[in-house]
Amino acid sequence: MNWKILPFLLRKEFLLEFRQRYAISGIVLYVCSMVFVVYIAALRATPPVWNVLFWLIVLFASINGVVKSFVQESGNRQLYYYQLAEPVALLVAKIIYNTVLLLVLSALAFLIYGLVAGNPVKDLPLFLLVLFLGSCGFSIAFTFIASIAAKANNSATLMAILSFPVIFPMLLTLIRLSSIALRLMQDTAYMRDILNLLAIDIILVTLTIVLFPYIWKD
Amino acid sequence: MWWKSLSVVLILYVLIAGLLVPLKSGIERVAPDALRCGETVTLRLYGYNTFFAKNGDQAMRVWLTFDDQHAVLAESAQAINDTILEARFRLPDCLPKEKTSAYLNVIADHPEAGASILPAGVEIRLDSAGVENGRADSLWQMHPVENLHVQTGFSYPYQNVIYETIRNTYFHVPMWFALMFLFTSSVWFSLKYLRDAKPEYDRKAAAYAESGLLFGLLGLVTGMIWANYTWGQPWSNDIKQLMTAVALLIYLAYFILRRSFDDPQKGARLAAAYNIFAFASLIPLLYIVPRMFASLHPGATGNPAFGSQDLDNTMRAVFYPAIIGWTLLGYWVAELRFRIQRLEDKKMGLD
Repeated sequence: MNWKILPFLLRKEFLLEFRQRYAISGIVLYVCSMVFVVYIAALRATPPVWNVLFWLIVLFASINGVVKSFVQESGNRQLYYYQLAEPVALLVAKIIYNTVLLLVLSALAFLIYGLVAGNPVKDLPLFLLVLFLGSCGFSIAFTFIASIAAKANNSATLMAILSFPVIFPMLLTLIRLSSIALRLMQDTAYMRDILNLLAIDIILVTLTIVLFPYIWKD
Repeated sequence: MWWKSLSVVLILYVLIAGLLVPLKSGIERVAPDALRCGETVTLRLYGYNTFFAKNGDQAMRVWLTFDDQHAVLAESAQAINDTILEARFRLPDCLPKEKTSAYLNVIADHPEAGASILPAGVEIRLDSAGVENGRADSLWQMHPVENLHVQTGFSYPYQNVIYETIRNTYFHVPMWFALMFLFTSSVWFSLKYLRDAKPEYDRKAAAYAESGLLFGLLGLVTGMIWANYTWGQPWSNDIKQLMTAVALLIYLAYFILRRSFDDPQKGARLAAAYNIFAFASLIPLLYIVPRMFASLHPGATGNPAFGSQDLDNTMRAVFYPAIIGWTLLGYWVAELRFRIQRLEDKKMGLD
């Protein structure tokens, strides 16, 4: 495969984002308003509630951040890319871009939420690792689902119903790991969970790369 | 089609054998259930499927056991009727280990109906402070549990809490086996469809997924009926129940995805891709995640009830045919589904 095209594709993604800037700023505002709504609804959240609400914020922000990745460009332009680059290179570029986007988003969400609702995290390195793995997993799964959903007319609904069941095991593992980072649970064998998470990520990325060419061609 | 007849025969066999074969004799409860060291007491054993009154020429024996080495044999055992037995014990002055109270298992041995056990059936207390524990071991060791009779013939194990619902093993568990086989077939045909876009493969993938979904729902319902009797309520947000519900949501999403395109070929292709993707995320869903959380469900987290040790040979003779029978029935349903779909597609001029 021709990987030389990858940097150009990546540059294109970032450039598009930088020019429009409405996506990232929209998502940041979305995170902010969601944090405030959550804060007002559950003023002083206890750590278990904090944990669950935080992951819900990240989950919804991620879905909204990723869903546009295939919709924003018109059919003609997609045809143009199809002639220029191989589908896998395109997908990898999208996944890398979405991962960076989600990392920024979840870091922002953590900062704002931590600032507003207090920060009960006791084991910060573990929490950041979990956040990183979660963002990677979300970005892989959602990019793939978004590529399917973009082909349909009601893509937003389809995006939600297709992605929630797929993301469920990952989300459970993430919440469990982050509750260990919050010292809500004592579990010294959390390495196994991290490996599980990595394994899920690897399975998903492999499948996505194998299956994407079939989705892409029209 | 020999396998369709086979499935009917096997399921009939499972229905008849699964519902008619009796349970082994068991002890439901014992009264009184709190004893004191040193007293002479008459215990009343309430049996289930027992024949206390028909004990032939050999007498019944009843033990209270502390552990493998320590047991007290009843001085006499008198049957009131078939299900009530009175056993007279002279309890030792002390306990074999340094304890002030302990739970004892009750074992009743019938010459024909075999031995039955009630784990932790009575609590025994040591309340005379002067007596030293571990001293007079002799009384505890005088009559060890030995020469137990085994019930011959066709019967299922008696287990406390589960009782007669043990028969659900032949309905609830095979549903999941059938589901796994059907979903695997569905993914197989989705893969074939991606390699070679024949409408036939897509119809087969959808039909197997539909049949699998049906079995998933049946498995969930039989599980809820079972849970109602053993866990006390049909839905207790157990991790396995949640995972199953989510797994079924995946396939509901698959059907919605198939129908949300105007172009059937495009829908079929995207649905095939989603089917493979969803199946791969289903495996961690069903096999990895439940092991990370505490569960009421037997199996993964090592709570008792249905490990392989609890499936005795009589149960195996019904359980394995049940798996084969239900799986074949699932394939039959799927075959009917895709044949109907093929006819409809022909009528619409799609094939």
